[in-house]
This record gives sequence, structure tokens and C-alpha cells, in this order.
Amino acid sequence: MKLFAFVSFLAIPLAFAAKDGKDKLISLAASGNGVIRLDASTFDLLTAPNRDWSVAIQFTALDPRRRCTPCKEFDPSWNAVAKAWTTVSAEQRDNHFFATLDFDEAPTVFQKLNLASAPLVWVYPPTEGPRASTRNLPSKYDFSTGYEAGPLSIHLSNHTPVPIPYKAPIDWARWLTVVAGLLSFALTLRFIAPVLQSRWLWGAVTIITSLTMNGGFMFTRIRGSPYTGHDGAWISPGTQTQFGQEVQVVAAVYGTLAFSFVMLTMIVPYQSSPARQRVQVYLWSGVIMLVYSVLVTLFRVKNRGYPFKLLL
Amino acid sequence: MAIHTQVWRAVYGKSADAIEKSVENVDESIRAIICIPRLFPFTFGHVDGLPLSNNVSPTTVANTASLLRIVAFGLISAAAIASRLFAVINFESIIHEFDPWFNYRATRVLAAKGFYEFWNWFDPTAWYPLGRVVGGTVYPGLMATSGVIYNFLHYFNLPVDIRNICVLLAPGFSALTAWATYMFTTEMKDSSAGLLAAAFIGIVPGYISRSVAGSYDNEAIAIFLLMITFYLWIAALKQGSALYGTLAAVFYFYMVAAWGGYAFITNMIPVHALVLLLMGRFSGRLYVAYCSWYAIGTLSSMQVPFVGFQPVRTSEHMGALGVFGLLQIVAFASLVRSHLSSKQFQDLLTVSVISMGLLGAGAFIVMTYKGWIAPWTGRFYSLWDTGYAKKYIPIIASVSEHQPTAWPSFFMDLQFLIFLFPAGVVLCFRDLRDEHVFVIIYAVVASYFAGVMVRLMLTLTPVVCVSAAVALSTLLDIYVDVAEPAVPENENSSANGTGAATADAKKAKKNAAVGSQAGPNAAAAASSTLSDIVNAAKSSSKSSPSKQKGIWGADARLVIILNAIGMLVYFVFHCTWVTANAYSSPSVVLASSNPDGSQHLIDDYREAYYWLRMNTPQDAVVMSWWDYGYQIAGMADRGTLVDNNTWNNTHIATVGKAMSSPEEIAYPILRQHDVDYVLVIFGGLLGYSGDDINKFLWMVRIAQGVWPDEIQEPNYFTPTGEYRVDERASDAMKNSLMYKMSYYRFAELYGNGNAIDRVRNQNIPKIGPTLDYVEEAFTSENWIVRIFKVRKEDPLGRDLKSANAFAQGKKRKRSKPVSRRRAVV
Repeated sequence: MKLFAFVSFLAIPLAFAAKDGKDKLISLAASGNGVIRLDASTFDLLTAPNRDWSVAIQFTALDPRRRCTPCKEFDPSWNAVAKAWTTVSAEQRDNHFFATLDFDEAPTVFQKLNLASAPLVWVYPPTEGPRASTRNLPSKYDFSTGYEAGPLSIHLSNHTPVPIPYKAPIDWARWLTVVAGLLSFALTLRFIAPVLQSRWLWGAVTIITSLTMNGGFMFTRIRGSPYTGHDGAWISPGTQTQFGQEVQVVAAVYGTLAFSFVMLTMIVPYQSSPARQRVQVYLWSGVIMLVYSVLVTLFRVKNRGYPFKLLL
Repeated sequence: MAIHTQVWRAVYGKSADAIEKSVENVDESIRAIICIPRLFPFTFGHVDGLPLSNNVSPTTVANTASLLRIVAFGLISAAAIASRLFAVINFESIIHEFDPWFNYRATRVLAAKGFYEFWNWFDPTAWYPLGRVVGGTVYPGLMATSGVIYNFLHYFNLPVDIRNICVLLAPGFSALTAWATYMFTTEMKDSSAGLLAAAFIGIVPGYISRSVAGSYDNEAIAIFLLMITFYLWIAALKQGSALYGTLAAVFYFYMVAAWGGYAFITNMIPVHALVLLLMGRFSGRLYVAYCSWYAIGTLSSMQVPFVGFQPVRTSEHMGALGVFGLLQIVAFASLVRSHLSSKQFQDLLTVSVISMGLLGAGAFIVMTYKGWIAPWTGRFYSLWDTGYAKKYIPIIASVSEHQPTAWPSFFMDLQFLIFLFPAGVVLCFRDLRDEHVFVIIYAVVASYFAGVMVRLMLTLTPVVCVSAAVALSTLLDIYVDVAEPAVPENENSSANGTGAATADAKKAKKNAAVGSQAGPNAAAAASSTLSDIVNAAKSSSKSSPSKQKGIWGADARLVIILNAIGMLVYFVFHCTWVTANAYSSPSVVLASSNPDGSQHLIDDYREAYYWLRMNTPQDAVVMSWWDYGYQIAGMADRGTLVDNNTWNNTHIATVGKAMSSPEEIAYPILRQHDVDYVLVIFGGLLGYSGDDINKFLWMVRIAQGVWPDEIQEPNYFTPTGEYRVDERASDAMKNSLMYKMSYYRFAELYGNGNAIDRVRNQNIPKIGPTLDYVEEAFTSENWIVRIFKVRKEDPLGRDLKSANAFAQGKKRKRSKPVSRRRAVV
């Protein structure tokens, strides 16, 4: 009995400490608009081994000296999701915290956790209470879906007591642009109608679209290839990759060749002077031969095993 | 014989009378070869004045032309089929790749047991333990086609093996595709362009890639069906024929039964009809063609069990329905308009038509929101929102043929057609008849799709061939034409810029141009190239030649023709090279070359599958990544957990989880699914890059989609974010079942030397992984296929790890096992 009393006596400050810690965290979160700015000591408090709350921590380096562009890109999404979490009712809200740990405010934590890159998002599950997880290890957020807030909130909702009520803000600027565009289109329809009815306008749009697509534009778009290589190279060897600049070059090459054929078919036969016609025939044939050779050379750079070549 | 002079005569018509009657036919054929565009005299307006018709009856010319067409077409078909046989000659008559193995297996069932059995076929070995209702989840067109051919041949007592029919189906259908493309292009321009297009599509690598012998896949017949449906649609539209519309619907039904890509037709034709409506080209022909196609096509497509009620319930098909409704409204409006004259009533009518259209569109939106119409399925949606698949359906994004296309693939697959293609589109814009609008829309849409997904290069290829053929044939028409226009009289003055163009004088010349006879009244030339261009553009856009066209001088003509022939010859070489080197590998058998240049075949897959077939119990279940499911079912005849059908994401994720988890976690999964063997593909010894370690991240990603807490992709990278398999590999990587099975005893192969993974160029640690729950059962000659047997539970109830340790005489550590044994008991 005595022993029990002693133990319970000892337990009181511990319990109070935990309670204090949580209260402190709640107030910190409230003051930081849902996000706790961490330093080394609050980090230890937040990730204390006996915690009945879960916590999602963003490791970042926002200081301009660190030149971390992704961090800057990701930070607003993080804050938006954290802000959305503050709208949840208090008893649920206080069981999950959002925190941000900047490298320059707590480099020791980075060293301790052996982190070499940023941004990172780690989610620590609670170790006590009804939601306690057997795994004490934090889970890591996969940035393969990008830095947007939507996928982040979907992912984090797996770890929070209730799903995060995040809604993407309405992009007023975009809507305004669309509406303004439609309005101006409707207003000027009378004047631009002849242009819109011109087949050659549509022809140009069609040709440019298909040239860009055939130049591999969608590849650079989907894969997010850089415009040029790191060392300034504009053509990347290998048939399965390409840089942004290659789209322009290849589309221009195709366009030139197609244009030469169009000239030979639609313009040259209508010439009124034999001499001029002959010059044009030779000119466009020369252009075709030359540009085609360039194209084959380009292709040989991409596909080293290609056995054929033309003039070049 | 003086062929040369006779040709000369025939061409210039000087002494045509001298030609004897008895050799008339011979001469005609020679003539016809020399001047290609004359082959088809009835398609040319300007042919009347030619000397050719002086003493030869038009019927003879027409007959010869059609005979030559048939001969040319026969040669094209032969070339198309022959170039697809590289795979058979270099390897053997074998089914290729992955999906064809399923189609082959299903066809065998169909041929052996009949159509009803096939229709009701439930396959319990696939997707173990779920099974698969094959008859209801398959596009049966391909198998039915082979089955019909098989039964047809056997009826005539030609005992051809079903495998050979399957292997040779794609080459055979490529000849039909060439014919369909010929018909289609003939509708666009004329039959000379048609023959060019047929020749192009016969050998173009973009189509060969999916139709070599042995590539027994839906695409093998689907491209033929695509082109024939489009041709019939155009024919129906041009003539306003319900018969052609119905035929289009019949072939559309065949297409629906054959390939999931039928949705391309389902949307192309409505878009074409809609654009024609918007261009103000509504006509009775359009109405008849579209309605007969849509009504019959939709009803018949719903007879395919796998499609069912989709045509009225999913967004992919709503466009066709919407245009159908719109056409009814417009047809009604035009009918009413033709009977009424009141201006106000017509205004009212216009307003009501527009509001009805809006109402209909609104109804669609509401029904989509309410869920009565299913939204776009993931596969189609990912074509528009290209990031969608990667985020939400990694299983679609993981397929290599769903990757976006880089430009070298376009050039590799289409070569010089790719830059003739825009020129052909420009020519379509020049004429802009209803059928040209179709080619234009097709060009834009297919270019986009081919850019998004490599496999959709297949749908781009036909339109590129058609369009390029139109461009090249137009060019040749002009430059092969030996009739020269009149030489302007005051040619010198044109240089001084004093002459003024007089269109009337030139127009008068148009029909009188005969051979080299120079007309006396020549027109003054325009003063500058710029005005030439303007005139030409003007004349071409009005498509009424206000000015004569033609080429002076044989040298100019020769340059162009030689250039064109050179390009065509190069194209043939290119296609042959690409076909032989890139597209004829069965991928079941790999080819490499010995140091002396001779071919060395790597036959590990069949070796391993045959081992499975001969050495494992009939009801054994093999777990592998889904890529190999069809092959295991087809070649090894064993049950699989997942296969290339990929209909159940969770099941695939389960396999992914087992592969990417440590042994202790994977083992219960394996046992729960009755897995007896685990099969992995490992290319590290040979440098074969398509192995499972390279696909491993997709397994992780797909598993992560279902168990985000347990499997996390970043754990499989080193802290610096690299994907490594050597000493520095992350713990999760090193402990995963996949890694362990791949590199099990790999280092021993090298003795004391460095064990190098030749795919990833990394050194594998000397002390390799150990396996407790599975044991090595088979490793093929070049280590490409490794099969591991899943061990049964320990008879003494120990976990297999401690049982192994005990068997190896290792002392147990005191701290660990006490509680564990108790837990087991």
C-alpha cells in the first residue's frame, strides 16, 4: 500500500509533465497557425517516446542561403494543409500536430537523424492511447506525387484521427481569366469570325500541333525533362530520352522538310517563268536533301547503332 | 525490240499509228510503267489531251490499269507478309511476348472444345485463388478469327496446326490492312495515292512493331478493322449510303469484339460528324451515314459480353450518343425550315435547337454527377490528365508501352513519312472535302495520343501513311506529267519586272496543252516570286486553276523524281533494318552475338518454364510479378497469382508486398495463397535490363498504394536518394524477398573476384543474402529465371529461421527465442 502510494506519487509529476508538454504543444500550434516551429528541445518534446498524439514533421531549409527551391515550393502546401487541420474540432485536433523544422534552427536534429536532403515529411505515430501503433518508426511521405497540397492531405489523412478537411482553394485568377476570355471571345466574335473561318488558320494550328507532338513534346511534358542538359548539351543521347530543346529542333526540321514539299507541290508548278521555276526546283530539292541529312545525323546521335547516313 | 522508241512514240504520240496491233498489250504495259500517273486515266481531269488515247480504246487502258493495280497490290501484300517473317526465320514459329501467350492459350481452348466451351470458360488457375471468367472478360474477336480459319482449313482437310495459324495471323492481316488503307486513300485522292499508302503501311515499322509473325495480339487484326471501318464510314458519308453505313457498323462490331481501342472509332466518327456540323456541312448524306452506323453499331457492340451496357453508360461513349441526338435535332430543324418561310419562326427554331442542345448537354452532366453515367475510366482519363495514372493507378503507369514517346521513336517507326505527313495535311486543307476533314481530325488526335503513349503510335501510323501518300502522289503527279506548259513569250521581260499577269490568256491555254507544242499566245510572267506565291495560293485555295501549272524541262522533273525514288529506296532499307533488328525479337527467346558474329540464342525462359512443367505437381501455384503470368500459364501450365490481365489491383499489390517485404512478413502471405514456387527474373549476370530488380520499384509503389503504412518507397533508396543494390543498399532493399532471391549465391559464382551486377554496374557484397523460408529450386543457364520453392512449416512448430539455425548447428542466442516458441505453441 505504501509502495503503491509512493509510485503514484512519483507518477503524478510525470503525468503532469506529459500533460504540460501537450498543453504547450497545443498552444504552440495555435500560435503558429496550426504549425509548430520546432527547435531541438521542442522536437524532443514532440517526438517524446511516450506520446498519445501523432505528429507530422516537415524537415526543410527555407533560408535563401540553402537554395532549396523544392522547399520553398512545398512550404505553402504544407501550411495550407496544417491550416485546414485547425478547423477540426478540438478533441480530435489536439491528437495530431503539424510541425516544421528548419535546418538553420536545429541543425543538430538533422545530424541526429542523419538527414542529408530536404524537404522531407515524416509522420510519427502515437505510442500510447487508443491509436497507439506498434511501430515507433516514423513513416515517410513520398514526393513522387509532387509538392501539391491535395495528395499530401490525402496521404496524411491515413495517419490523422479524422481525415484532414482540406479543400483546394478556388483559383479565382484562373476562373476570372477563363470568364474574361470567353466574354471577350463572344464580344469580338463578329470581328474575328472571318479569321476563324479561314481554313489556313486552322491549317496552321493543325500543322503546328502535330509537329510539336511528333517532336516528342508530350514526353518532355510528362517526364519533366529539362530544356537542356547540365553541361549545356541540347541533345541527350539515347532513344528513350530527350531534352526540351530537341522538341523545337526536331519540329523545325520536320516543318522545313514538309514546307519544302508543299512549296514543290503548290507553288513551284504555278510559276510563270521557266528559269525561276528551275531555280526553285533545285533550291527546294537541295533543302530537302540537306535537312534530311541533318535529321538522319541527329537520329544517329540518338541511336548509335543506326547504320544508314545521307550526305553528312 | 525497239521498246525505247515505242515508248517515246507512245508518250509523245508522234507516230503512234505505226504500232502493230498484235503487240498492243505489251506496249501498253510498258507505257503504263513509264508514266505512272497515267495508269488511272479516269481519275485525272487533264488526261484527255494526251496522245496515249489516240489509238487505244479507253477500255483497254482501264483494263490494263486495273491489271497493273492488282499486280502492284499483290507485290505489296507479298512484301508486307514477307517482311514480317523475319521473326520466324531468325528464331522459329513461336508465340511472342506476354499477351499473345494468353490469346494463344484461349485460341487452343476454342479450337479444341468449340465456341460454347470457350464462351463459358472459367479458368481456376489464373488469379489464384480467385480464378477468372475468361469468356466474359475477353475481347473474343481475335480468337474467333483464328478459330474460323482453323475450322475452315480443317473442313478442307488441311491439317494446319493452330499454333501456325496464330503465328501467321498478323502477317496475313497486314495484307488486308494494306488493302483497307488503299481503299481509304483512294477515297481521299485517287488510286495511285492509294497504292502508295498501301505500300507504306505494308512495310512501315510503326505497324510492323505490332504485327510480326508470332505477335498474336488484338492489334494484329484491329488495325485492319480500324481502317476498313474508316473507309466504309467515308464511303457511306460520300454517297449517303445506308448500306455502307451498315457495313461500317458491322466492321465496327468486329472491332469492338477484337480490341479495347474501339473507343477510338467510337469517338473519331462523332467528332468528324460534329465538325462537319459546325462547318455548316450538314447534309442528308451525313445524317444517313451517321445514323445507320451509330444505331446498328451500338446495338451490335452491346452483344459483346465484355462491353455489355457500356455504350449507354460510360463517358467514353457519350460523345457518339450526343452527336446522334444533335443530328436528329438538326435534321428536324432543317426539315421544318425547308417547309416554312416565316423569318420569325425560323429564329424561334434556331433558338429552340440551341436550347435543346444545351439541355441535352446539361442532362449528360447531371447524369454523370448522379452516377448514372460512369465517368471516364482510368485508362482513358490518363490520356488527358497525363499525371493521373502515376498518382492514382500506378499499375497503368508501370506498363512500358504506356510511357510517353520521345522523338526518336517517331522517326524510327515512320521515317520519312513523318515529315511528308504535315505536307499531306496541308494538301487536305487545300481541297477540304468532307473526307479530308476526317484525315485532319485524325492527324491531330492521333499525333497527341501517340505522343502520350508509345503503344498508340499504332493508331497514328495509318493516318501518317495515308497523308504521306497523298503528299508524295500529288508531287509525283505534277513532276511525272510530261506535258509542259507553254513557255511565256516575253520571258526576258519578266526579269525586268515589266510584264503583268493576264489570267485569261493562261486559262485559255489550259486544255490546249499538248506535248511540247508551244502555244503562240503566251502570258506575261508575273514580276516577282512573291506575286507568284500569292497567285498560286489564290489559285490553289479557290481550287480553280486560273493559271496553268506544269513543269518546264526534263532536268527539273528528273531531280524531283530521282529525289523521291531515292527517299523511297532509303525508306525500304530503313524499314527492313528496323524490322529485322528491333521488332522481330520474340522476347521469349533472346538473341545475342558470339565474338565471331554468329548468333547465340538465350533460351532461359523456355528452359525454366519447361522445368516447371515437368518437375512440379500439376496443381502447383507459382508466384511471379504479373508480367510473366500469361507465359507461366501458357508455357508451364501452372497456376499463377497474378497475370497480365491486371484486373485486380489489390491482388497485384499483395504480390508486390510479398516481394518487397522481409522474408518473415512475406512467408505468411505466400502460405495464405498456397504458393509453392516463386519465380524471379534476374538479368544481373547477363546484363539483361528487363529484369525484376529494375521493375522492383513499381512493385513497391503498387504495394504502397494499398499498404501505405507498411511499404514505403523512400525506404528502398539510400539516404542520398540512390537506387543501389551493392553494400550501400538500404536495409529495406537488402531484406526484401526480391533482393534476396535475385542475389542469392550470386557472389559465389565469381569466386574471389568481384561480383558485378552487369545491369546496374554495381559490386554485389561478398557475403550474399541467406534464405530461410524459401529454397532455391532451379536457376536457368544464364540465371535469367530463378525459381524458389516455398518451404512448408516446420514439423516441430518452430519458425523456419530458428529451425534453419538449429539445423546448421548454430547456438541460439539466449535472449531471443523463449517467448517466440511459446507464442507458436
